[in-house]
Amino acid sequence: MGNSVIARRLGLLAVLALCVVLLALVPYFPSYYVRVVDSILIYIILAVGLNLVVGYAGLLDLGFIAFYAVGAYAYAMLASGQFDIHLPFIVVLFIGAAAGAIAGILLGFPVLKLRGDYLAIVTLSFGEIIRIAINNADDLTNGPQGIAGLDRASLFGLPLTTPVHFYWLLLVLAIIVCAGVYYMERSILGKAWRALREDQDVVRGLGINTTTLKLLAFALSAAIGGAGGVIFGAFQRFVSPESFTFQESLLVVLIIIIGGVGNIVGVIAGAVVLVVLPEILHFAAQYRLLIYGVVLVTVIVLRPGGLVSPRFNLGFIIRKVRTLWLSPSKT
Amino acid sequence: MALALENVSKHFGSLVAIRNLSLSFDVGSIYSIIGPNGAGKSTVVNMIAGSYAVTSGTIRLGETALNRLPKHRIAQLGVSRTYQNLRLFDGMTVLENLEVCFFPQSWLTFLTGAKRLSKAERLEICHACLAEFHLSDVADVLAGDLPYGRQKILELARAFVTQAPIVLLDEPAAGLNHTETKDMAAMIAGLKREDRAIILVEHDMDMVMSISDRIDVLNYGELLCSGTPDLVRTNERVQEAYLGTTEELDDIRKLAQSRRAQGGLRANAGIVRH
Amino acid sequence: MFDYFLQQLIFALAIGAIYGLIALGYTMVYGVMRLINFAHGEFFMLGPYIYTFLFSGLVGLGGLAPVLDSAIAIVASFVIVGLLGVAIERFAYRPLRAYGRLAPMLSALGMSIVLQSAVRVTVGPQPVHFPAIVPSTPIDALGGMVTTVQLGILIAAVLLMVGLTLFVNGTRLGIWIRAASESWTTSSLLGIRVNRAVSLVFFIGPGLGAMAGIMYASYYGIMQPTMGSVIGLKAFTAAILGGIGSIPGAMLGGFLLGAIEVFGTAFLPILSFGYIGTEYRDVFAFAVLILVLLFKPAGLLGETVSEETTVAKKDY
Ligand SMILES: Nc1ncnc2c1ncn2[C@@H]1O[C@H](COP(=O)(O)OP(=O)(O)OP(=O)(O)O)[C@@H](O)[C@H]1O
Ligand SMILES: [Mg+2]
Repeated sequence: MGNSVIARRLGLLAVLALCVVLLALVPYFPSYYVRVVDSILIYIILAVGLNLVVGYAGLLDLGFIAFYAVGAYAYAMLASGQFDIHLPFIVVLFIGAAAGAIAGILLGFPVLKLRGDYLAIVTLSFGEIIRIAINNADDLTNGPQGIAGLDRASLFGLPLTTPVHFYWLLLVLAIIVCAGVYYMERSILGKAWRALREDQDVVRGLGINTTTLKLLAFALSAAIGGAGGVIFGAFQRFVSPESFTFQESLLVVLIIIIGGVGNIVGVIAGAVVLVVLPEILHFAAQYRLLIYGVVLVTVIVLRPGGLVSPRFNLGFIIRKVRTLWLSPSKT
Repeated sequence: MALALENVSKHFGSLVAIRNLSLSFDVGSIYSIIGPNGAGKSTVVNMIAGSYAVTSGTIRLGETALNRLPKHRIAQLGVSRTYQNLRLFDGMTVLENLEVCFFPQSWLTFLTGAKRLSKAERLEICHACLAEFHLSDVADVLAGDLPYGRQKILELARAFVTQAPIVLLDEPAAGLNHTETKDMAAMIAGLKREDRAIILVEHDMDMVMSISDRIDVLNYGELLCSGTPDLVRTNERVQEAYLGTTEELDDIRKLAQSRRAQGGLRANAGIVRH
Repeated sequence: MFDYFLQQLIFALAIGAIYGLIALGYTMVYGVMRLINFAHGEFFMLGPYIYTFLFSGLVGLGGLAPVLDSAIAIVASFVIVGLLGVAIERFAYRPLRAYGRLAPMLSALGMSIVLQSAVRVTVGPQPVHFPAIVPSTPIDALGGMVTTVQLGILIAAVLLMVGLTLFVNGTRLGIWIRAASESWTTSSLLGIRVNRAVSLVFFIGPGLGAMAGIMYASYYGIMQPTMGSVIGLKAFTAAILGGIGSIPGAMLGGFLLGAIEVFGTAFLPILSFGYIGTEYRDVFAFAVLILVLLFKPAGLLGETVSEETTVAKKDY
């Protein structure tokens, strides 16, 4: 074993250690930064979920935020004074995910035979319909005022109240979601989705029912969206239709594209960039949005394939680490 | 298992692409469908595979009528195919292109894992298939990065990897050079098996004549003649359809003009389309 | 009842014409580039702002007759917004052509943010009054139910649509546009300068959008930087409803959407015994769209492509 291998192993260890230390230090940041990190994590979860549909199955879903809304309102209605129902957080988390999945299937079933832009616009419409319905169903949702005073959440007896608590919860959840999606990506299901994205007619010609395949992607991603919504509700302890506009759906799509479609590492990078950028731009006051837009266009024109190259994905990193550890001579 | 077309017709608007065609194919042989451009060969393939709905008539696989079934059901019953224009999953590796074919075919198998191949079994079959088609060296190369000739072979492999009893090959040799075509012919001849019917659409006459057990000649959507290679080779009507006597040529030209007038732009599109 | 109906009808036609004009921009761009131009709603918003700026500028310079001032300002807004569209295509979309369909769409989203916030920082976010181009007087002949503004909008929009139809069907440039929409590759092989067709489309589309914006603003007498977002979305819906890529489809989709919204809002509360109120107005557009697509997956006038002939294998 040569010196260089040892050096490289040390380097790798250092990088890993740095990541762990950084993640462990977050709770000691000022509260504002913890909130930003929480926000990044939420968007990572959402974008990884949506990526199943957009990045893997190749279906443009512009109404994703509707599932997020379903989850958030599930918590708002089942854990607040609204109907005086107070279910525990963990229960609502599962209900929210299930409700999201059901909404996804209900939407998906009739529309998944549509192609490309027609699908995009129908999902967009669905998102708008949900939002408008929430806005107007006063008896259920309190309309535009929203529902306030949601229950303080707790998980297995641990309180979930401060941004730091949520940081840990979101971190664990983000890791679970990323790992799960990565596993699916590598399974035959993931391959079928990628094939679907390349040429769905041929996929049908191989004896695969593309409708169920799409439905599965839709339902899974909606479930992740729903779960994300529940956490959002518990975190904010207030929900209103304003949080679920078309622009939010677009933001999640943007994260995916700007990071690198179909690539978990890319999605993480995208979420970091698109959440942090507006925060940095606070100094620019009213020019903030303008600069944000200009940066966005510039980035995409300079790096149309996304910030992260498709080769630099989770699989690549894992392979790299594994070979360096097991058979360093190959690297 | 036998595949039969019974009085099948296909209209595209006013254009009659296939008229009252009856053909049957049994496992154990290689069948070729030949005919001039626009004769309706690909249309036949597309109808069998379920990509086009028949206008009238029935297509049967054994006792099952195929033409009411959705496309993926037809494939599940054992009909696989290649396309006249290469349609590989370019962004996936050669191996993955084959693996996808083993995606569990129903929810039940998917969820319970019953009757489902394990990953190891799947990979074993795919690797064996790659070896058979001399693609092992490129297993991890993206399909889109292969040279054209090997892409054609990969598409062939994809059609055979699931051991489907009915295999439809739409111009496997199109665009290949002379040696590649010869190799392709040998490869297809070697794939003939007792439990498999290969239906080949091809323009390369050497290939068709050398490997087919029966040749069906289509012209303007109708069966011109059908028989062994020797029979077809000497058939006058076939020669006319391909080469044309002088009067015949005039007739064909007229016919073509009237068809074009009927079919409008669409019929013309057949010239550009492949 | 009939008067009420007539009034609603004119209203529906006027708003539908506006939707139709915007939808034309979406559909034409989509036709040549297969791009959902999310920035298109902003051209609609820019129209009235640029018009006001030019008009007050002209008046400030001494001006001519008010009618002439208006006319010049209108034409100039068309041209300016059109040129802006051409420039945006050139710099923000064209470099992305080889990169699939998501990248240009993202760029369009970015442009939308840029345009909207640019207007916001220059004139402020608050709604401002839009000066009437023609005084809004009820027309006696129609029982006083219809105003000059409504009628003016309708006439102007229909003239623009007729003009566009004649242009794309009857002129060489128009035929280029249609050829490029049919097949990009074939057109370029035939020596059609596809890039010019694209630039032209990016001139006409935003120009028409600006006209629609001016009409909309004169109808409501108000303009604000965010006005393009929702209307843009609805007009896009109209384009899809008619079958995206189809020019007559966009007009049809626009008028249909107008009718659905206006009559839906007017009659649904009655029909549903007050259960479904007017607040669901914005839902109609989307609900009808979903319904139509379920039965006609390519929109009303869109071409259904048979799957074996689909040009693009990938949806996204
Ligand atoms: N989707 C379609 N829509 C309209 N017409 C079609 C369609 N598909 C095929 N046709 C027409 O049907 C006729 C038969 O076409 P087909 O593709 O079956 O010919 P082919 O025998 O395969 O020719 P080639 O040797 O050129 O592949 C042609 O005139 C063609 O234009
Ligand atoms: Mg053919």
